[in-house]
Amino acid sequence: MSARTGIERVVAIGRRGTANRRETPAPEAVPATAGGEALAAADELEIAISLPLDRFALEVEVKTRARVTAVFGPSGAGKTSLLESVVGLRPASGRIRFGDAVWLDSARRIRLPPERRRIGYVPQEGLLFPHRTVRGNLLAGAARARRAGAGGQAAPSARLEAVCELLELTPLLGRRVGTLSGGERQRVALGRALCSAPRLLLLDEPLASLDIPLRRRVLPFLARVRAELAVPMLLVTHDPRTVQALADELIVLRGGRVIARGAPREVFTDPKVFPLAEEEGYETVLPARLESTGAGSSTVRLGENGDGPLLVVPRTDGAPGESLLIGIPARETILAAAEPSGLSARNVLAGRVAAVRPLVGDRGLVLVTVDLAAAPGAALPPLATEVTASAAAELGLDAGKPVYVILKTAGCVVYGGRGQA
Amino acid sequence: MDEVTLDALRLTVRVATVATAVVLVPGTLLAYLLARFEFRGKGVLSTLLTLPLVLPPTAVGFLLLRLLAVDGPLGRRVLGFDLDLILTWKGAVVATAVMALPLVVRTARVTFEGIDPRLEAMDRTLGHRPAAVFVRTTLPLAYRGLLAAAILGFTRAVGEFGATVTLAGNIPGRTQTLASAIFAAQQAGQDDEAMFLLVVALAVGFVAIYASERLAGRTGAAPR
Repeated sequence: MSARTGIERVVAIGRRGTANRRETPAPEAVPATAGGEALAAADELEIAISLPLDRFALEVEVKTRARVTAVFGPSGAGKTSLLESVVGLRPASGRIRFGDAVWLDSARRIRLPPERRRIGYVPQEGLLFPHRTVRGNLLAGAARARRAGAGGQAAPSARLEAVCELLELTPLLGRRVGTLSGGERQRVALGRALCSAPRLLLLDEPLASLDIPLRRRVLPFLARVRAELAVPMLLVTHDPRTVQALADELIVLRGGRVIARGAPREVFTDPKVFPLAEEEGYETVLPARLESTGAGSSTVRLGENGDGPLLVVPRTDGAPGESLLIGIPARETILAAAEPSGLSARNVLAGRVAAVRPLVGDRGLVLVTVDLAAAPGAALPPLATEVTASAAAELGLDAGKPVYVILKTAGCVVYGGRGQA
Repeated sequence: MDEVTLDALRLTVRVATVATAVVLVPGTLLAYLLARFEFRGKGVLSTLLTLPLVLPPTAVGFLLLRLLAVDGPLGRRVLGFDLDLILTWKGAVVATAVMALPLVVRTARVTFEGIDPRLEAMDRTLGHRPAAVFVRTTLPLAYRGLLAAAILGFTRAVGEFGATVTLAGNIPGRTQTLASAIFAAQQAGQDDEAMFLLVVALAVGFVAIYASERLAGRTGAAPR
């Protein structure tokens, strides 16, 4: 996409930053939210609720100004209940506030109905309206966008056009929703939320209902929304990849309680959290740029700007220079203390051990995080690898020790880039 | 077709149409209430709404007659004016409406219960109040079921005999419907006349149902 259309789109849907908000507050100290982007106080989300569930009570108390906050946890941790409370579809007691709008305050007997919270809700199953076409679904919240128009937002038609371009929905506009594929449904549900001019986007397991190949195709659209729109997001997921690809701040929920929070890359390698992530098949997700594509494989350069080490990955279609995300499963890695040679594996990455942590209660494995050697300025998240405790002892793995990470091409997973489908 | 038969046919269609129209809106709202909300007395309300289905129609007619009698709770003495329902075509409308209501409510209720309430919740998150959600999302999704409810109500009204004859009588040209005309003809031993009326009744029922189903099929709302 050209820079020009990008700018038009940003104007049409709502600029990034807070310049177009009327109630922009006096700047105060921005909290250090994990190195991710922080928002102004007008977009601070505060959740302090308790909600009795079947087997336990959900007790959550968090404040976040991250642009994208992810709530991660195993199934049944109370994630969806938490999200539904924020949406206003599940009565909880406590306090929920977004900026200066109080959505719930049991002490003051305030409980704003969902239609007055100005949220964009993308439920797990999409919940498209079967009696409307795709266009009808996208415009289902247009009346609110029109009412919000007083605040300097673009007209609903311009908004629809911009959303269609962003999510590539234009060819689907006349279709009935019954004829859409799973990935298309999720994109329409996302587009419908965006067309209603929400102040906060709420996503419930945006990829859970999709099979693996489809996830690979839908994730980039979410990344695109994140990259191009100003709207803050709260997303609930049990998929560590989604979190790493999108979130600035991670909140881990287990048994209804917050057990960890912070920057995703740090929180996931917390020994309390990693086993939960590993159950889903943990992959470290690294940004990369496509370098070239051969017969059976593609070559990418790691790093946001493509100035990190080269990596040979399964073949992917795309233009050189395109942004991609590469998933490296913790179980697919081999560590070597000396530079190996004569391997069939295509990738040997040099780095240093960042930390060695025993994994609680399980099969004698340790989690070794490796800082990959990268060009200065191309800081990469640490790579999570799993080895047995005996191997770690034998290799003398300790923080600071130089190691080589060996990766088979087929072990790497390519997720369509942030820029392209 | 003689004058009496023609009058009976006209009156039947008029009574059934008006009764269906009268019953449809409150019946739909009551059905929605029963399908979506929990409240005290729900069981009692549901039972009361079903009663006309199980009572002998003549009992319903007699009950209405007592309610509307001059000294009844809805009679002239209490209200101060006459509702003019006894032995009139409007009385036939009331009788058939009461008899059709349970079918309309039950059919509509099942329809509403089959609609995913999360779709309604979803529409609320898009900025619509519950009343707007009902019109924008619930009704279009319930379209076919509500049409079926209306057809059932209409056919029930066409065929109603006991309650109508008790409240409105069987006055040829004024309150005599097809059902009561058939009864009158058969009682008088005019089997040919009764048979002819039977054919007319068959035709009316067939056309009503066939036309409505064609309509529902063509509109094709709410593929599920």
